[in-house]
Amino acid sequence: MNEHVLDCFGEACPVPLVKAQNKMKEIELDDILVLQIDHSCAMKNIPEWARKEGYNVEVEEIDDGEWEIIIEKNK
Amino acid sequence: MTETSNAESSNVKTSSIRRSSSSQRGSRRKKAKKNQIPYGVALFIGLVIIGIFLNLKSEKLALFWVTGISFGFILQRSRFCFTASMRDPYLTGGTSLTRAVLIAFAITTIGFTAIKYGAHVQGLPVPGMSYVVPISFATIIGAILFGIGMVIAGGCASGTLMRVGEGFWMQVLSLVFFVIGSLWGAHDFGWWKYNFISKGKAIFLPDVFGWGGALIIQLALIASLYVFAMKYEESKNQ
Repeated sequence: MNEHVLDCFGEACPVPLVKAQNKMKEIELDDILVLQIDHSCAMKNIPEWARKEGYNVEVEEIDDGEWEIIIEKNK
Repeated sequence: MTETSNAESSNVKTSSIRRSSSSQRGSRRKKAKKNQIPYGVALFIGLVIIGIFLNLKSEKLALFWVTGISFGFILQRSRFCFTASMRDPYLTGGTSLTRAVLIAFAITTIGFTAIKYGAHVQGLPVPGMSYVVPISFATIIGAILFGIGMVIAGGCASGTLMRVGEGFWMQVLSLVFFVIGSLWGAHDFGWWKYNFISKGKAIFLPDVFGWGGALIIQLALIASLYVFAMKYEESKNQ
């Protein structure tokens, strides 16, 4: 199980989403993607997309206005 | 929607996803968060004081102040994004925001019809008729330019303003060029109006179909778009 961290601080929507989509294709099964964002809208559309794909998703607020979205490639 | 907020509220240390030990990177940068409530209280008092001050000058200004703040607050809390409503169907196959916008259109259709019909029945001039303008190539060109711009900038007008208020600095840049673009557009608008827009014919639906007919046709169109959005989302999820 590997963990991949994608730094998307300062990127506006939809860049974090597109990066996440591409990265999820690359990584192997059971890997985890940690997406670091500070754009509030990305916090809505990335979990929505990932849940729709059937992945496990967690959102953690690591600081004021900064979040980590943790996506598990479980399928 | 609820799922997202659940995940947000139960944020710390309840992660069901097992993260490797190296992943404590995330927690390492976690510092004690500042309590923002005092700032919030100070801001609220400031807003009320400015509101009272504006009300002394003119009631209209105070109304704009209150509606503007409410609008921004609702946009921020709901993450209502017009850009995403047009972009996400293509990008993620999700149409929840698209359908939210369609519902907003339906509500405004009913509200504006009520206001305009009310004025019409009383024999007053119908308000907002200056916005009934011909459809032309300028509309299409403008829509395409605006669409490209808002996706690159990561937000439409309201989204950009809201994000600047949230403190997202990159979009201050969008705001600067948004202002420049608007001024430029206003400067050239006369030329477009003379050469393209005024050549078309302005259509006000109630003139053509009657007030009831126009309302029903517009709502039916919105409803069919809503159904189309739902079907589209289903087909994308197959």
